[in-house]
Amino acid sequence: MTTVESDRAGRPARLDWRIRLRRDRSLILMTLPAVVLLLVFNYVPLFGLVTAFQEYDPLAGVWQSVWAGLYQFERLMGDPLFWGALKNTLYLSFVQLILFFPVPIALALLLNSVLSQRVRNFIQSVVYLPHFFSWVLAITIFQQMLGGAGALNQFLRGNDIGTWDIMTNPDTFALLVTAQVIWKEAGWGIIVFLAALAAINTDLYEAAAADGAGRWRRLWHITLPGLRGVIVLMLVLRLGNALSVGFEQFLIQRVAVGHDAADVLDTFSFYYGIATGDYSYGAAAGLFKSIISLLLIYGANKLAHAFGEDGLYRK
Amino acid sequence: MGNELNRRSFLNATVSAAGLLAMGPLLSACGGGGPQRAGVNSDSALKAVLPAYVPNTSIKPDIPSVAGGPDVMTEPGFLSYPANRVATVSGVPGKGGRYSAVTPLWGTVPPADNSFYQAMNKALGIQLDMKPADGNNYNTIIPTMTAAKKLPDWINLPAWWNPNFNTGGLVGNQLADLTPYLSGDNIKKYPNLAAIPTAGWRAGAWGDKLYGIPSFSTGFKIAGAIYYRRDVFDAKGITADQVKSADDLMKLGKELTDAKAGVWAFDDVFTYFYTAFGAPFKWKVDNGKLMHTFETQEYLDAVDWHRKLAVAGYVHPDALAGDNAAGTTRFYGGKTLISGGGTGGWNLADHQNGTAANPNYRRAAFNFFAADGKSAPRVDMGSATDIVSYLNINLKPEQIEELLAVANYLAAPFGSAEYTMVNFGVEGTHFTMDNGVPTPTDAGKKEVGAKTYPFLGAPPAVISNPTGDSVTKDFTAWQAANVKALAKPVFWGMNISMPQAQATALAAQGVEDTVKDCYHGKKSVQDVKDAVATWKTSGGGDRLIQWMNDNVLQKYGTGQ
Repeated sequence: MTTVESDRAGRPARLDWRIRLRRDRSLILMTLPAVVLLLVFNYVPLFGLVTAFQEYDPLAGVWQSVWAGLYQFERLMGDPLFWGALKNTLYLSFVQLILFFPVPIALALLLNSVLSQRVRNFIQSVVYLPHFFSWVLAITIFQQMLGGAGALNQFLRGNDIGTWDIMTNPDTFALLVTAQVIWKEAGWGIIVFLAALAAINTDLYEAAAADGAGRWRRLWHITLPGLRGVIVLMLVLRLGNALSVGFEQFLIQRVAVGHDAADVLDTFSFYYGIATGDYSYGAAAGLFKSIISLLLIYGANKLAHAFGEDGLYRK
Repeated sequence: MGNELNRRSFLNATVSAAGLLAMGPLLSACGGGGPQRAGVNSDSALKAVLPAYVPNTSIKPDIPSVAGGPDVMTEPGFLSYPANRVATVSGVPGKGGRYSAVTPLWGTVPPADNSFYQAMNKALGIQLDMKPADGNNYNTIIPTMTAAKKLPDWINLPAWWNPNFNTGGLVGNQLADLTPYLSGDNIKKYPNLAAIPTAGWRAGAWGDKLYGIPSFSTGFKIAGAIYYRRDVFDAKGITADQVKSADDLMKLGKELTDAKAGVWAFDDVFTYFYTAFGAPFKWKVDNGKLMHTFETQEYLDAVDWHRKLAVAGYVHPDALAGDNAAGTTRFYGGKTLISGGGTGGWNLADHQNGTAANPNYRRAAFNFFAADGKSAPRVDMGSATDIVSYLNINLKPEQIEELLAVANYLAAPFGSAEYTMVNFGVEGTHFTMDNGVPTPTDAGKKEVGAKTYPFLGAPPAVISNPTGDSVTKDFTAWQAANVKALAKPVFWGMNISMPQAQATALAAQGVEDTVKDCYHGKKSVQDVKDAVATWKTSGGGDRLIQWMNDNVLQKYGTGQ
């Protein structure tokens, strides 16, 4: 590549790549491990996607396995269990978007309004903590408290009030799952919003207060606009991940509510692909999910740009 | 703690699913373009190569075996550890070769190159690099080795994972054929291996050739039993023999359940009780027609009975919520009084854990009975063992002979000098004799406790629970009382290798899921019927039955 003259395109002149290399050498060296990591663990394994188009046999290996074209995808399209899993995934994702997504924002706003640093730190620690529990532990706690033989139902039983089926009711499973997510992850989710809150210039609040703006007006005209960029970014990420609603949470509770209610795309791949040795079928389900996710994240990003926000990157 | 719970419940899930496979014919998966499969064991050709059986009589058990039908006998019981530790191998078996070995281990991996390994290497006369791998992930670790064609010299492949390992495709391609060394009288060169009953060798035989070395071979292999809390039953004046039918068991459920007090009669029992309704474990041949168990009315009856049990509220809610890992805790705590389980759980550790929770704790199992209360009790017996080790095909004949001599050492009978070395280590260093019972020292617990060598070779199973004589007596008596009920299912010991599509259809995940939902009270029997119909038409079920009929039943018969 040679240098390009600056004024013609109105862009700054690009330096010779050798000069740039020398200038950025240390930066490039520092990013190199991360790039290698990405290549080795994220890009090289992409090659394995070829198994989705085969009748993959681990013993024969990828090269010797029989080519099956789109057969696995045809099977997927004709499999009611797959459509059930897709439906569950979208439904759970939607419920979580409505019920979970606003919670960390509200929590961050509340926490931000607490003046005592000590009380704030205490509350923050308490709501963070469940994030570090594994799903097994989280669900065990729910089962111990709300399960058929848990504290609540034994109390109800002891007082002859009749029991309340919370943990094994397929009809309310989406609510249960969302409640578990809120309990476990809401505290962790507030971190990014707290950081965004801290970045808002306090002069604005003082000026607004001096002009007679009340609490709600300041929230509406200063705090929320200040958070908007982050909220939109999180929303874009959430939409892009709409088909990833979790795995262990459903794996563990699958028997409790039955596979009709609990199977999401990830557990579908696991049970009907890996667990039965039908690897190519599982890979096809996974690839299908990835393509839809890519489209979703692309669309959500476009939408963010249309609203004048940064989205995943600045346009 | 949380993770362990997860791993254990996962293991339970895997093993129970795998147990279904392991019990019936051992099936192997293989893709269309894969290597040549071993095929099926045919009865006559296999009989010609099976090793001679020369029982070892040097150590007498306190409670001798009781014989049942062909290949059926109870495990002998030992109340004390044999005081006279006879040596069955003279000199060291090895000639100084160096080998690697991989075995599954459910527990903490002992330190590498520890004093026990060194002592074993000295006793065996070879340098054997033991590499125990996590048993919970073993089924995913091994396929990476086989895909890279990098198996160790000696490897254990538990039979319940044969479909995952594609053992039928590995034998002859990556695993050595041992037929020339072990068939017929050839085995007499290795007397301790010759003392393993022939049924054990069937577990490692593929396509009428001998490949695997069986450990813990038994003549009493069943899926499991329906256990109950004998101490609680005794206190309530209930004798288990009063229960003669499924109706009686249901009534008992009503009598024992006291939800207010947090006590439910049952934990999950379906896996261990559905065959009592007359359903076959997997296959049956009815007037020459091959039927899968899903197709039988008896199977549907069994599902329906279990659904009623759950709906009536006699099953612990945590069991209905799928928390299998805590099942033993519920049983120890008296929160459940009747629970299904494998026979491996009826041992000293169970006795110690149970009595720690409740000093009166006593485990017992119902004798087998038919659900209708009238038919003769019958339970399908499984292959003689699931723990089978194989040798690498790249070994030279003299290396194979060296390792077989080592296997002969490892298979020395219970109580012999070699058995004591393999299972307890060096006296004074790894264990001390405490009232005639080998008791591990701290070093022994750390280095020997994992018991990795028996996964390469071990004598036939015995029942021995030092300091827990009541367990040995109860268990041997129960086996003796039920030995007549054991019978060979169709395709017993035939080790069928089938193509991937058939193996997937056999796993029948969609049906298994619906059945589980049904016996947990969430689905109706009609839902199960629908799931079976879907499985037959679009899930490959009909093709599987056709394949089994054409490639196994018509060619080789039922193997009974």
